Amino acid sequence: MDNSSKISRRDFMMLATLGVGGLGLLAGCVQQHPADSAALSEGDAGLVGAMADRIIPADAWPGGRENGVVTFIDMQLDGHYRRFRSEYRKGLDAVTETCLRRYLKRFEALSPEVQDSFLREMESGVLRDGEWKEGFSKRFFEMLRSHAMQAYYGSPRHGGNPNYASYKMMGIDYPPIIGQNRYGL
Amino acid sequence: MKKVPTFLRALTVVMILLVVACCGFYFYWNEASARSSCESCHEIENSSIMWARSGHRDLPCKECHGTALSSGLHSLQEKGMMFVHHFTGTGPRQITLNERQVLELTENCRRCHGAEYARWISGGHSATYAAIFLNDKHNAGEQLNADCLRCHGMFFGGAIEDLVTPVSTKGPWQLKVAGQSDLPAIPCLACHEVHREGSPAVRAGYDDPAKIFYYRRGSPSNVQWYDRYEKIHIRVEALPLLKPREGTRELKVSDDPRQQVCVQCHAPNAFHQAGTGDDRTPRGVHEGLSCLACHDGHSNDSRWSCVNCHPAISNCGLDVTKMNTTFAASGSPHNIHFVRCIDCHTKGIPPKHGSRLQRADGTHSK
Repeated sequence: MDNSSKISRRDFMMLATLGVGGLGLLAGCVQQHPADSAALSEGDAGLVGAMADRIIPADAWPGGRENGVVTFIDMQLDGHYRRFRSEYRKGLDAVTETCLRRYLKRFEALSPEVQDSFLREMESGVLRDGEWKEGFSKRFFEMLRSHAMQAYYGSPRHGGNPNYASYKMMGIDYPPIIGQNRYGL
Repeated sequence: MKKVPTFLRALTVVMILLVVACCGFYFYWNEASARSSCESCHEIENSSIMWARSGHRDLPCKECHGTALSSGLHSLQEKGMMFVHHFTGTGPRQITLNERQVLELTENCRRCHGAEYARWISGGHSATYAAIFLNDKHNAGEQLNADCLRCHGMFFGGAIEDLVTPVSTKGPWQLKVAGQSDLPAIPCLACHEVHREGSPAVRAGYDDPAKIFYYRRGSPSNVQWYDRYEKIHIRVEALPLLKPREGTRELKVSDDPRQQVCVQCHAPNAFHQAGTGDDRTPRGVHEGLSCLACHDGHSNDSRWSCVNCHPAISNCGLDVTKMNTTFAASGSPHNIHFVRCIDCHTKGIPPKHGSRLQRADGTHSK
């Protein structure tokens, strides 16, 4: 038998040691834990939350931020609403730039009254400067309001409305309690 | 002997390395903490976070979910596809167990919770798909529909049309999925979320036995409701409270939150009239009692519960188990869920006596 055609025990041990040792490198493949936000940065999430809290302010029931609007938008921008990502990017940047220019503060740092006033301007479409051309402020506000409502009143599986808070607010039971129609005791 | 070509030798080395690497990775994955293995997939992260706060947090994932090889090639293929979906970005944000995995998990529940499993298998909630969906009497009386799966077969992956044929009130009916007939339609996870918040059981401190009660920590209810449509478990505290009516009168109901899971399936009609549909809300002499005051949570048995409130030596001096109710005989007109004093005392409720003698037929002397 020609021993040169075989792998020697020494070679095998060496290669196996290398292989097993290399497994240690696999730990590097383990993905770092993603940030809580998938599509929105931490700053974006703060801004969306602040706007959501003015669109749906808290009373006896949770406001927009507490009731998952940020989570919903973040989750959907990473899913079905991926097509709105650039609009959000542009709109959120425009809100921050405009507020810094006008008030020397970010939107989140403004008083609720000033925030409301700014959002009313967005809604009416009177903002025209900078990025707010061609009625973008109105479009962006309507999109944000629409998504906030979807989050607030929609199913928790889409990211918002944890524990069906808005259902409870409206007196709607979920899951509905309805039995069969057949049996009577 | 003929010399083996170099590329074959290289291939052999590569194959050996691959096998060693795979085996090493497999053992590493199974032994590593969840934080550095399962949880590193963001699809599992939420479940893992919940598990870390649960009473099962001392158990590694594989104790309940098994390993990549637990179900042979099937699970290997499934895990492989998880990798594919993960890296191609085509997977869901949050993965859920399919029915097969839920049932495998049920068998693993049994390893530690044998007594509960034994009670479940002996009760009505261990009914199989065949028992539920091939019941001629039931299917002829109510059209099979999507909502059947809300309470039976809640983990079934398809629609009612994928399960039974024909979907009508005229049989004969048969299941469309091979091997489905003997599977339990209401497994453990129907009412339990294994990752629910809780603490592992610990031995009580005996330094001051009299105070053990006061040191005992309250824990959230251990039952939750699995919502097939949302594919999530809902905590009992978040489930709606049934306020059934008897005519126009609102009944008193127990404040036991666990009952809110029961009424999800044992529910009245849309008008919430007590006694309609599958409603079993106690009325009459038992109004206000929780389902679980009488029924065992796993076997549903109520055989031994009467004595909790009606001991043989009681104020009333009656052996209620022998009275003319459906507890003693299924043909009795006095259903234990809504029997009233007036049902027997048709001429009015007599005043209380110090002692009354019970006759052999369950009635008692006045």
